[in-house]
Amino acid sequence: MATIAALTDPTQPAPFDNYDPRGHYCELLGTKLEPGSSAIGIWQRLQSLGLDALQTRAAEAANELFNLGITFTVYTERTAIDRILPFDVIPRIIPANEWDLLEKGIQQRVKALNLFLWDVYHERKILRDGVIPANLVLKNANYREEMIGLDPPCGTYIHINGTDIIRDANGEFLVLEDNGRAPSGVSYVVENRHLMQRAFPDLMQGLKVRSVSDYGERLHHKLAEVAPEGVTDPTVVLLSPGVYNSAYFEHIFLAREMGVPLIEGRDLIVENDRVFMKTVAGLEPVHVIYRRLNDDFLDPEAFNPESMLGAAGLMRAARRGNVTLANAVGTGVADDKAVYAYVPRIIQYYLNEEPILGNVETHICAEKEGLSYTLANLDKLVVKPVGESGGYGIVVGPKATRAELDEAREGILRDPANFIAQPMIDLSVCPTLTEHGLRPRHVDLRPYAITGRDTWVLPGGLTRVALKEGSIIVNSSQGGGTKDTWVLKEACK
Amino acid sequence: MSLLARYAEHLFWMARYMERADSLARIIETHAAYDRGRESETSWKWLVQLYADDEEFEEKYTDASQRNVLHFYIRDLDHPGSILSAIKAARENARALRAYLPTEMWSQLNEFYNRIMLTGEAEIDIVHLSRTCGMIKSGCQAQFGIADSTLYRDEGWRFYGLGQFLERADQTSRLLDVKFAQLAAEESPQDRIADTTFWALVLRSASAYQAFQRIEACRVDPDRIAVFLLLNPSHPRSVSFCTHQMERLLHELRMRCRLARTGRALHHLDELTAYLQVAQQHADLVGNLHAFNDGLQRRLNAIADELGATFFGYAPHQPIVQTPEPGMPVIGNVTQSQSQSQGSAPS
Repeated sequence: MATIAALTDPTQPAPFDNYDPRGHYCELLGTKLEPGSSAIGIWQRLQSLGLDALQTRAAEAANELFNLGITFTVYTERTAIDRILPFDVIPRIIPANEWDLLEKGIQQRVKALNLFLWDVYHERKILRDGVIPANLVLKNANYREEMIGLDPPCGTYIHINGTDIIRDANGEFLVLEDNGRAPSGVSYVVENRHLMQRAFPDLMQGLKVRSVSDYGERLHHKLAEVAPEGVTDPTVVLLSPGVYNSAYFEHIFLAREMGVPLIEGRDLIVENDRVFMKTVAGLEPVHVIYRRLNDDFLDPEAFNPESMLGAAGLMRAARRGNVTLANAVGTGVADDKAVYAYVPRIIQYYLNEEPILGNVETHICAEKEGLSYTLANLDKLVVKPVGESGGYGIVVGPKATRAELDEAREGILRDPANFIAQPMIDLSVCPTLTEHGLRPRHVDLRPYAITGRDTWVLPGGLTRVALKEGSIIVNSSQGGGTKDTWVLKEACK
Repeated sequence: MSLLARYAEHLFWMARYMERADSLARIIETHAAYDRGRESETSWKWLVQLYADDEEFEEKYTDASQRNVLHFYIRDLDHPGSILSAIKAARENARALRAYLPTEMWSQLNEFYNRIMLTGEAEIDIVHLSRTCGMIKSGCQAQFGIADSTLYRDEGWRFYGLGQFLERADQTSRLLDVKFAQLAAEESPQDRIADTTFWALVLRSASAYQAFQRIEACRVDPDRIAVFLLLNPSHPRSVSFCTHQMERLLHELRMRCRLARTGRALHHLDELTAYLQVAQQHADLVGNLHAFNDGLQRRLNAIADELGATFFGYAPHQPIVQTPEPGMPVIGNVTQSQSQSQGSAPS
């Protein structure tokens, strides 16, 4: 095998020159800052490609994403601008043993959350046993009384789940957030892989990377498992808010990969508590709806009467067991930021097991101790409103000004139940391509789990990267990008 | 599983808009070429008349100069009848079909759209116009070619074809109508009748020059040209050819795709075919061309309306007599509002 020195062109700067993770855990080099046995291959290849080649191929890849329309759309008053989600070509590597742990941890977590949902919409044992304050659940904005007593097939409420996971300075995985409503981003996982296979075939050659391209097939299969009783060859559809939704590309992707129609509310009609879609040959029955539409907009008869996006009567059909909605209505009570703090206790309560993946330490401002701790340590904590998504409304204590902290304090005192606080979390870094070479940038990971009778986890998931130096906000709406995530097949030796 | 009604509608309109962009580019290019061969610049007013856009045009511009008319018909995104608007509308329809369309069809249209939206004023001046029209035609033709070689032959393919041929018949009929109106308006129409360049231009606008020469060998006169563009069974842009294709597609929808409800559309098409046959017998077709074209346009619109009512859900469906499956509701009174932004019929 050639030595590293021999592979490197001495006339140009090597990509890893001056690479310094500054105490953060590096996904490629670990804490020792040397490539381990699982990373050495990729490290060498990147070094030998050289910075110029990396830059050129990265630009070509971005152009390809644009032409393929793998974009999200930003609407202004007059125009619609298609933007690509910035893509970083340096893959994030997950060794087999680490993935094994993640997979088991996610399966455990999803199982517990589904049992929790069944319980709170049926006997409410966990509330009577005082494990979680009843008000936190029953008064939660995402608790849906319409779901009480409804028995979803296989007891599954969260069919598609995305778990946001970070890694602290020691390399320990921690769950930051559960997404059990309509987690997005999985299309980028698969498209990023296809793009890397085209743009960097040489980087991947000979490495045993686990495939992600069967996601659509697996999803279709799992959704067929939860079809209404007695339906042997169910019709599955994907319900989208339509072309103006910023995640429309993902809806297209999912429908195409599952081989099912991509429909909108106006394509559906409910008659005699059964759901039909309008085709050129007349009405045809629909059995399972993967809906990428919030509860509020799903059914004007049951929820927001103003909604034009859903179809009247869906909830009636679901209650009669004639159609399965995925995810079920009312799952928001399980991925709520306040309920999140109790998930380790939820796992212990239903499964009698220790959580495989831990939570980030969380202080609940609705509880007296949590509130006083938060107010006393505001400058050290990250405060999050529980109802928001997309990174909005977050106050990062150590980086906030005096005035911002005062404003946050007022906000918390006005409505303590709306906030949780967490210590400054340390996100791991990945080598990321910049004009100056490879530089450490913070990343998180969102693996996708799909559940019918049981749970399958897509190997890897979406690695989001904060492209701005030092930033830990990885959301695409706040300047984040994505990377391909490579789960290696063989355990490290 | 049958094709979603909304997909059928998007396919129909996507093809119509692409065909419209292609026809417009052809017409503009050939006229510009003719203009260059003359001593003084001719008015471009006829193009505004071709699409009956007089009112909208006059609101925005003071004169029908080449510059104004070309801007209006190529670049003006506020004008739904411009080439850029048509391509944008085609792409919007394609966007709603992305889960259905072959990837190449979408990506070619998307690249084409991204390129075409960059078209600047300089690209439509007289020096660059031919190249720009050429680029537009190639883009549209590439799209049709990819559709032909990749689109799955289900109901959707037939609705796509119906949109394409219906629009093409409409464009050819409009072209003839306005060119003959131009002729009638001349102070000395005899000069124009003798102007072979003018007639070659009409033929070239419909890509029919070579084919016409082949069967008529230089016998360029208005009557022969009108008959050729309306009734020739073998030229792909003649009205007759287009109606034959539509008939074939409707029969395929009925027999192969088992869509029983094609009956009324076929009835309208039969009427159109009969109308064309009568024209063939007519002693003075050219003398009555405008009235004839009016009748033709009305019949084409009737077919489009019928497809909308029967298959795209514009109108309440009539109950169909069929043996209901257990648990199937009676099919009827299924209304779908005509909420498509692109659903506006051509004026």
